[in-house]
Amino acid sequence: MPKTKQKKNKKLSFDLIVVGAGLAGGTAALSAARKGLKVALIERGQTPGGKNYFGGTVYTHALEEVFPDFWKRNPPLERPVTEAGYWMLSETGMTRITVQGGELLKNPADAYIGMMAKFNAWWVEQAQAEGVFLIPKTLVVDFIRDARGAIIGVQTDRPEGEVYAPVTIICEGVNNILTQKAGLIDHDLRPETVALVVKQLISVPAEDINARFGLPDSDHGLAVSVIGDISLGLTGLGFIYTCKSSVSLGVGVDLDVLDNHHARPYDLMQRFLKHPQIAPLVAGGQMMEYGGHLIPEGGWRQMPKLYGDGVLVAGDAAAMVNALHWEGTNMATVAGKLAGEAAFEAHQRKDYSAGSLKVYQDKLNDSFILRDLRQYRNFSHFLNTHHDFMDVYPGFINTALGKFFSGFGQPKRQLYRDILRSLTRRKPLLRAVGDIVSFGRTIIGW
Amino acid sequence: MNMKSEKEIRETEKVRQIGEELEPVFVDDILMSLKYYVDEEQAHLKIKDSEACKTCVGRGCLYFCPVGVYSLQADGTIQVGYQSCIECGSCRIRCEKDNIEWKNPRGGFGVAYKFG
Repeated sequence: MPKTKQKKNKKLSFDLIVVGAGLAGGTAALSAARKGLKVALIERGQTPGGKNYFGGTVYTHALEEVFPDFWKRNPPLERPVTEAGYWMLSETGMTRITVQGGELLKNPADAYIGMMAKFNAWWVEQAQAEGVFLIPKTLVVDFIRDARGAIIGVQTDRPEGEVYAPVTIICEGVNNILTQKAGLIDHDLRPETVALVVKQLISVPAEDINARFGLPDSDHGLAVSVIGDISLGLTGLGFIYTCKSSVSLGVGVDLDVLDNHHARPYDLMQRFLKHPQIAPLVAGGQMMEYGGHLIPEGGWRQMPKLYGDGVLVAGDAAAMVNALHWEGTNMATVAGKLAGEAAFEAHQRKDYSAGSLKVYQDKLNDSFILRDLRQYRNFSHFLNTHHDFMDVYPGFINTALGKFFSGFGQPKRQLYRDILRSLTRRKPLLRAVGDIVSFGRTIIGW
Repeated sequence: MNMKSEKEIRETEKVRQIGEELEPVFVDDILMSLKYYVDEEQAHLKIKDSEACKTCVGRGCLYFCPVGVYSLQADGTIQVGYQSCIECGSCRIRCEKDNIEWKNPRGGFGVAYKFG
């Protein structure tokens, strides 16, 4: 009994608390621990990665930035991305625009297909080996603040579960409940700025994957976005990633359109899997896992303030996603690293105020993260207002190429007329030109 | 302007029909692939006011939930099968009546992805 009494009087204190052991949190904790800080990494799941779900790919530049000897560590990754691009579905057909070889034949490759729960667990093991103290199965429910309102610790759901530190880095993921509680953002996620993605992992023997996807061997992998018939004209798209002996296929749709159109995500998913061009790819396969996750696609315009008194935020909680380039894991990793370093610098100054922690924002401004997010700030809105890029244009491309490669023995002038008409039937020509111009402007960031 | 919105409404109706015409999936079949640590003592999802669901027009929860947690009862209320929740947060931000009390499951509980 006296033992518990003693415990009661002793505060559980660290130099830094990181909430959430995903890629952002794991990296934030690691980079601070490397500098000598005593770090608590709090994870609500049974193990790190247990709540993490993605497509998807991780990016070599971010991994090597954290571990220069990354490849010697034998990371649990699936296949390098050696072919990437777009598949455009019509009702029964498909046009593929993919690139392979060339830029994608580096060793190591720029991107690797992985399984996030496995990779995430491994990533945090690396962090623990460098001194990070992991507290799993623990939910952070609120913050502890000092008299001035600065965050000086967290309240967990464990009995006597207060943990103290002068800095807390929030890496809670897309459901930014703590980010809101910290006062870093004044509104909840908006349904039109998040995509709900559902995915199935389907086991297929490696040699069948290689044959069906046209990959020379298991050291080659394919990552594609699928547009067109998949989303029924809603803002959304599909994706396919080849793992070693399984295929990851998913559909993502803006959350606000699902119920507006009485479409259930798993029904859309099944429709995708039954598409005549898709079904043969996974025929005979067993479903290994189904799951779903929100992606914060609002970007720049939906970002919270990134620092406050005693607090920083990184990763999905800070909407660090570039939807067009499939970037998210790398932003989380690099932002986590920068947040950990900013926490260390605050310790050196012994100043944990917002003014001191602002260095994190400065670091992000210099990195690709905020530069890109600023440049793409209108992209989310663009997609919401230009559904045609998901549906009408892929349909047109299929029709046009289909006619071009099948119109034998008929006057070609008529053929071109038919092709043009198949576009103008869908969309006035001037509007189509306007769409392409505004797409360009959105990408350039004007 | 008027014409455009009429056209948009027509298109919405068309897609809505397609949504209804999608071949339905028996959701338990896909849930079998998932692993959960179910909190038997405490539900992390609750309907705040079950009467409010009776007058809800959209009943979006019946559609957007990726694991079919929400089901309509004969009396017009919504039943919550929190045990199969994958904690995505869709209902938290999309319930049009803001009628769902959403918390993360207690530490250690809830979905546990094997592959992710």
